[in-house]
Amino acid sequence: MKELVSNSTTNISQARKAVEQLKMEAYMDRMKVSKAAADLLAYCDAHIGEDPLIIPVPASENPFREKKLFCTIL
Amino acid sequence: MCDQTFLAIVFGPCDKCSKEKPLRPVYIKSEQLSYCSLCVEMMATEGLRENETLASLKSEAESLKGKLEEERAKLHDVELHQVAERVEALGQFVMKTRRTLKGHGNKVLCMDWCKDKRRIVSSSQDGKVIVWDSFTTNKEHAVTMPCTWVMACAYAPSGCAIACGGLDNKCSVYPLTFEKNENMAAKKKSVAMHTNYLSACSFTNSDMQILTASGDGTCALWDVESGQLLQSFHGHGADVLCLDLAPSETGNTFVSGGCDKKAMVWDMRSGQCIQSFETHDSDINSVRYYPSGDAFASGSDDATCRLYDLRADREVAIYSKESIIFGASSVDFSLSGRLLFAGYNDYTINVWDVLKGSRVSILFGHENRVSTLRVSPDGTAFCSGSWDHTLRIWA
Repeated sequence: MKELVSNSTTNISQARKAVEQLKMEAYMDRMKVSKAAADLLAYCDAHIGEDPLIIPVPASENPFREKKLFCTIL
Repeated sequence: MCDQTFLAIVFGPCDKCSKEKPLRPVYIKSEQLSYCSLCVEMMATEGLRENETLASLKSEAESLKGKLEEERAKLHDVELHQVAERVEALGQFVMKTRRTLKGHGNKVLCMDWCKDKRRIVSSSQDGKVIVWDSFTTNKEHAVTMPCTWVMACAYAPSGCAIACGGLDNKCSVYPLTFEKNENMAAKKKSVAMHTNYLSACSFTNSDMQILTASGDGTCALWDVESGQLLQSFHGHGADVLCLDLAPSETGNTFVSGGCDKKAMVWDMRSGQCIQSFETHDSDINSVRYYPSGDAFASGSDDATCRLYDLRADREVAIYSKESIIFGASSVDFSLSGRLLFAGYNDYTINVWDVLKGSRVSILFGHENRVSTLRVSPDGTAFCSGSWDHTLRIWA
């Protein structure tokens, strides 16, 4: 897929860009997994009551579960 | 709300050319400066400086990779499923096929929900793109693309248009009307042009911009009206197979996954890769953001799905079982993010408890590979498309 250009400038620029990208990634601010995981849990907890696939809403409110036929008389 | 930590793109005078542009940090002799993207390119193409050889740059890259792993490991104080031990286990799930959408003549490759939570667009190998009403299973619109293998389709946020593409290397937008003798093909607008197949497309927050991913290894952002390329995203080493936009209204990032086993998070304004994750053992077929925007899940040909947290900058969960040996083709979260639905190449859909890492349910029904899976916008159901020519709505 990539053309093999044996151009030393291209190789150097690619290597430099890779180094810059890695530097940026290495120096980024990270948080502890315990805190990040706690936040994921908190989000779940806060929204789980509204999740119709976990706390099923009554069949009459879920358009897919009710047996009503959707036909319009033209 | 969406409280992502990502690289803040600063706008200001470049430290080299003094022009007002979006800036990126660069490190020269351990000093941090801010360069505009043009100066970064120029710096990268200068000849070798003193004491620098190609080999020294490569070894610097290697040592930085090691440092990156070290930094990530330092904050790895606990596993997600350990933190989740105190969470209540989920009850038994009864999820059944509630509707079966039949009408495609060949493998269904992709589908998307409309924001009205009712309409669905799907595309298949034979070039047909169909818009369905999922409540009644009626087909509302149908168009035949000039190419086969329509691998990507998307519904516009307004519900007034759809986008699709595949082996034609393009992404085309079709406006939807309710005229009696509608000729959808006549109103087609070609928006994106890639040099290889289109694997994924998505409208951004409006009908005006489309994000595409392609087998040519790049992603791109396009203006729908003019067809102009607004930004391109280079960095994947092989075909890009999937993408997903961050869920916030103000969000400016998206994640992409590719055949190079990497998932990369991009800033849409600057075109820069912010974070990348390489823990899968094979092609990443599908990526999807967690509803809060702080994490994303990926499904891969290595038969696992993984959860990556963006702020901890690492993989935090793996969803796998020894008995699952076929690749996962598509993943999506339920509304609260507690459940992860994954469609596999062994014709099944596995439902995972995201926090505890265990499988909650396995759904049978399709008679061939599950190729695409999306939860409806209000979370009441999810739809799966398969190589068995049908789509199924589960609730």
